[in-house]
Amino acid sequence: MSCLAAALLALGVGFILAITRATLGPTPFDRVLAVNTVGTLAVLAISVYGFFDGRPAFLDIALLYALINFIGTIAILKYFRFGTLGDHALPNSDEDGA
Amino acid sequence: MQDDVVIRVVAKVMIPAVMLFALYVQFHGDYGPGGGFQAGVIFASAFVLNAVVFGLNKGRHVWPAHYNLMGICGGVLIYGFTGVAGMAFGENFLSFNVLADDPIAGQHLGILLVEFGVGLTVAAVMVMLFFTFAGRLSHNRLLSKSDAHERRLAPKSSPSKEVTK
Repeated sequence: MSCLAAALLALGVGFILAITRATLGPTPFDRVLAVNTVGTLAVLAISVYGFFDGRPAFLDIALLYALINFIGTIAILKYFRFGTLGDHALPNSDEDGA
Repeated sequence: MQDDVVIRVVAKVMIPAVMLFALYVQFHGDYGPGGGFQAGVIFASAFVLNAVVFGLNKGRHVWPAHYNLMGICGGVLIYGFTGVAGMAFGENFLSFNVLADDPIAGQHLGILLVEFGVGLTVAAVMVMLFFTFAGRLSHNRLLSKSDAHERRLAPKSSPSKEVTK
């Protein structure tokens, strides 16, 4: 049980550091990176809890969290870069055409 | 965004993996965490990733608009007909015991069909929601068109401009 406590404590320190960066971050990219790190730490926390609780089904949830975390980060970055989640190509630029 | 090699390649690798994971969650939901709603959302997120990376036009090419109606209504109809099938065999609505010779097998078959209907409807609704919101020609986008054009012409603009964006 102390192993679980130590692992979760270490993850908690990581959470605090990442959330501090998300709060203070001077640029939006710092915040995006910090939120992505929080998601990765959540994946780790789910895996650690599932391991110590003897429930390997938690690995499914962790895997899903990792997948959705990636998709969300890509979507946020696209929104920052282009201001929309839809077609970002300009009408006269290339064949992708808005 | 498809000009970016890393994002394009990673998305191409991940889209089938996400779809496979959605099918796993759908059909393994009896024994592990999962079910129709979760599987539908995961399956839709694969199409969302496709549309985000490769553009909304190509996303609509993969998932045409008439799939929305087919998916939403088809899922509800599968759910409803599974329920009515129990009535056809002389039991109550949504009683699965009579769907097969063995009551256990009937329960398995019934819940599988019902969850499939739920997953189909949820996937179609989620994809439709994303396409509707992302395809909206908002005021912000019309304003940002000129900004994006300038940035494309001069990609080495100052980072402070990106921040205010």
